[in-house]
Amino acid sequence: MNNRLKVLRAERNWSQADLADQLGVSRQTVNALETGRYDPSLPLAFRIAKVFGQPIESIFTED
Amino acid sequence: MNASIETPRPSLLRKAAMVVVLAGLGGAVGYGAATLTDGVLTTWEDELAVFMSVIMIAVGAITAFMVATRPATVPRGCGVLQAVVMLLAGALFLLPVFGTAWAQPDVVYGGILALLAAQSVANLMLWRQADEMLRRVMLETSALAFWALQLALFVYAAGERLGLVATITGWGLMGILMGVYFIASIVAAARRGLS
Repeated sequence: MNNRLKVLRAERNWSQADLADQLGVSRQTVNALETGRYDPSLPLAFRIAKVFGQPIESIFTED
Repeated sequence: MNASIETPRPSLLRKAAMVVVLAGLGGAVGYGAATLTDGVLTTWEDELAVFMSVIMIAVGAITAFMVATRPATVPRGCGVLQAVVMLLAGALFLLPVFGTAWAQPDVVYGGILALLAAQSVANLMLWRQADEMLRRVMLETSALAFWALQLALFVYAAGERLGLVATITGWGLMGILMGVYFIASIVAAARRGLS
């Protein structure tokens, strides 16, 4: 699965640690999400969508 | 893109320096352990147990150092719990080998059971505190280790039943189990970019 996490984070000038704090996960988890090494659960995907104020399908896309 | 949002990546030189430092530390710890236990360990089972123990204590100490120097707010307490779990696991593998030098076997056994209970509680707390990716890594470690160990156990057990291989003690099997579990955890963590 592809995602736009890094771009969305960059647009807001957030560090990985900033985003991790808002999502309640570790910085390593944010890094793994951004590099495509980990696909989030549905609850985490919803939290990500809420943090960025965008629908899930605009953040995550199929390969 | 603002440079501040980029996660700083260690340079090749820094990575090489880290490898040299860790290799040096590993060598020193290994040499120290081998010197201290020279002539004390009489079976390969005890040698394997002490080897695994040294690795777990070293990893626990490194984790504790990382937590102290680079504390993370989320997930709260995970780093400390990981260090505690590793250090207690290391101690659990040392006590059956060296414990009887200081106390009677039944006292040592009681201490082992108490430590095991504390380590189990720490493990449970770690599971509850962990975020979803760390839980996934733990689950994948367990699955990988179980698959490898049940395969190996069957191959060994069939050979033993046929009289083709020597019997391994429970203590030896425990050392092998921990070794396989350790390798499985490294594989599972590396797949998620954890190092």
